Amino acid sequence: MSTFLKNIIEGTRDACLIWRDEMRQVIKDEGVLIFFILVPLVYPLLYSWIYNNEVVHEVPVVVVDDSHSHFSRQFIRMCDASPDVRIAYYASDMDEAKMLIARQQVRAIYRIPSDFHERLNRNEQTAVAVYCDMSLMLTYKAAYQTAVMVSQEMNSQIQISLSGHYTAREEELLVHPLEYEAVPIFSPGGGYGSFILPGVLVLILQQTLVLGIGLSAGTARENNRYKDLVPVQKHYHGTFRIVLGKSLCYFMIYIFMGTWLTVVVPRLFHFPCLAQWPDLLALMLPYVLACIFFGITVSCIVRYRENVMLLMVFVSLPLLFLSGISWPQNNIPGFWQGVSLLFPSTFGIRAYVRMNSMGATLGDVLFEYRVLWIQMLVYFVIACLVYRYQILQACRHASKEAE
Amino acid sequence: MNTLRTIYQLALRECDVIRRIPIYGFCMVVFPLLTMFFFTSLMQEGQPLEMPVGVVDLDNSSTSRNIIRKLDAFQTSHVVARYPTVNAAREAIQQNKIYAFLYIPKGTTDDLLSSRQPKISFYYSMTTMVSGALLYRDLKTISVLATAGVGQATMRARGATDRQVKAFLQPITIDLHLLSNTATDYNAYLSTMMVPGVMMLFIFLITAYALGTELKFNRSKEWIQLSGNRIYLALFGKLLPHTLIFLGIAFFYSWYVFGVMGFPHPGGVWKIVLLNIMMVFAAQGFGIFAFGLMPSLRMSMSICSLWAVLSFSMAGSAFPVMGMDGPLQALSWLFPLRHYYMVYQITILNGFPLLDAWWHGAALCAFILLPILVARKLKNAMLTYEYIP
Repeated sequence: MSTFLKNIIEGTRDACLIWRDEMRQVIKDEGVLIFFILVPLVYPLLYSWIYNNEVVHEVPVVVVDDSHSHFSRQFIRMCDASPDVRIAYYASDMDEAKMLIARQQVRAIYRIPSDFHERLNRNEQTAVAVYCDMSLMLTYKAAYQTAVMVSQEMNSQIQISLSGHYTAREEELLVHPLEYEAVPIFSPGGGYGSFILPGVLVLILQQTLVLGIGLSAGTARENNRYKDLVPVQKHYHGTFRIVLGKSLCYFMIYIFMGTWLTVVVPRLFHFPCLAQWPDLLALMLPYVLACIFFGITVSCIVRYRENVMLLMVFVSLPLLFLSGISWPQNNIPGFWQGVSLLFPSTFGIRAYVRMNSMGATLGDVLFEYRVLWIQMLVYFVIACLVYRYQILQACRHASKEAE
Repeated sequence: MNTLRTIYQLALRECDVIRRIPIYGFCMVVFPLLTMFFFTSLMQEGQPLEMPVGVVDLDNSSTSRNIIRKLDAFQTSHVVARYPTVNAAREAIQQNKIYAFLYIPKGTTDDLLSSRQPKISFYYSMTTMVSGALLYRDLKTISVLATAGVGQATMRARGATDRQVKAFLQPITIDLHLLSNTATDYNAYLSTMMVPGVMMLFIFLITAYALGTELKFNRSKEWIQLSGNRIYLALFGKLLPHTLIFLGIAFFYSWYVFGVMGFPHPGGVWKIVLLNIMMVFAAQGFGIFAFGLMPSLRMSMSICSLWAVLSFSMAGSAFPVMGMDGPLQALSWLFPLRHYYMVYQITILNGFPLLDAWWHGAALCAFILLPILVARKLKNAMLTYEYIP
């Protein structure tokens, strides 16, 4: 048998042994188990619970009605009847209304001027003042859009009563000569949960992997006599076999966690699930591998096991923003676009959201898909290089000891 | 006098640790500042501008082109492409080339002129909520304008004056006043929660880390003895350098966003100072409490990080707490960031007196006092526990 073939067989056997060792270590270590099993299992459920109401209904609003007329009461009634706004209080003046805003009992003030009725009957234009508390965008949107909608509806009624047409069709044509329709495609509910959660799920996958790998590496280092990452042992002398053996262990765990995160959870909570399974599988393969090699690379920087938490937890939030689901990708400054190239999550989230929530095919996310493969390769090479260095260091320490 | 000297010695000892271990410098100064610059520069535009929008114009008339031109003129929308079919435009959304598209079917102008009520459609994607909501607003305006344009032309032809036209087409208008954040600036809206949130995350973690490493490196007995067996003194002296550094960072952040970036802060400087002090102490209180609850470095840090990450959602700035389920509304009281955010929005953003946010202020004070509950246990742990890797 040639030495090459022998090397391969021996390497495979070593990789399998390392795989077994790593698996044992993961199962024994409760810190790693928290991040590999508990967090991916529980966090999505928690987040889905937080956002399961999806939209904000019945935002409390206070009315300052200086007109006290038929029209003003109609306006108030119609606002109250809308799904998004609830008329919670009637205030006698603006000061009282302001006090309610200060105590956060209401989110907006509708003020109807005293000449509201007169002006409408005189065929003059009048205005309802809407004051919005800007501490929450969703409530501002609800209060403002409801007022606009109701005013448009009342405007149409006033126009119809003034125009003196005969048939209902004529009246409809008067107020809507051009019909329009707004179609929120892909996520017709427009809910908050189904917008943010797919991205969060994919991000959780990367973050828990990196944290878990970092913790596990930190433990290995602390258990080592010379604080080295790699033990001096017969099976641990090849770079490839270490990286492959460890990755195999993490990959095995994340076959399950990944399926849970990207396939089961969205279905449990009825988020849009438009991706076809071969496409999804094809995407998740490079993504999980890229995350694993990224995690291995990061884990080599970590001296103590807890430091990885200090490094990786806070980046979760910026990473979510860099993926372009909160802040549109088009409007992310170039510098940060460049930074976002470093992280697998950026492209994982983009591709996953577009495939699963927007029904894109693999061909539509080809760019992201390619970048993920490139990232996987690059991080694999870096992971091998840093492990090579670690092995050399371990050997040096060992030989020093021998002397 | 003796007490002061002890505090000084404890603080000096901690300064030495901070200087020796570089991760402290990164987590207390570099990362918080980095996060601050990240968020404030990411959302520098305030509102996403010129987002790419497509058009499917099958009518190809002067009317349809007029509508498209108007859409392009909005500051949020930028018409970047024309597509021959709806399917092509839909694929372009899926490929992330555009965020929304306007569909004008064939014969729109003819139908409009002959009063057959044509229909135009606007397709937008809510998978990116900010862009979806803003583009929807543009469409709505465009459609109302287009409808009004028809009425305007008819009335002008009949000899109505502009005032009459306006009064007929829009008898009731909405006069919008945005309190405090007049420009709907997303930067002022999100950064003021995210950055303090990240700072709190680091305070949680570093506090637990600093206490846990005493055990880990077997210095805990020496630490307690140095304080003369007084745990409060030991904690105070040890965390004093942390407090000062974090306060410095918090004040720098406040100066940067309110002073340099000019975010609205009608509440005034003193409330900002007070809130920063409460934030740092409350977060440290929580960190000590988390460690006292489980005096193991890895468990307490795990709890701190999981809690801190959750608090970004539970603060209720993006999705309001009032929209969550009842039990979650109650749970939101357990997150210091929630109270920080409420005090901030009531007293600083809106400029109302502190009295209006007193419940949340009281809750922050409760977080500051939390270590009292675990002080005994903490001391016991420091004197007897051994670190198990």
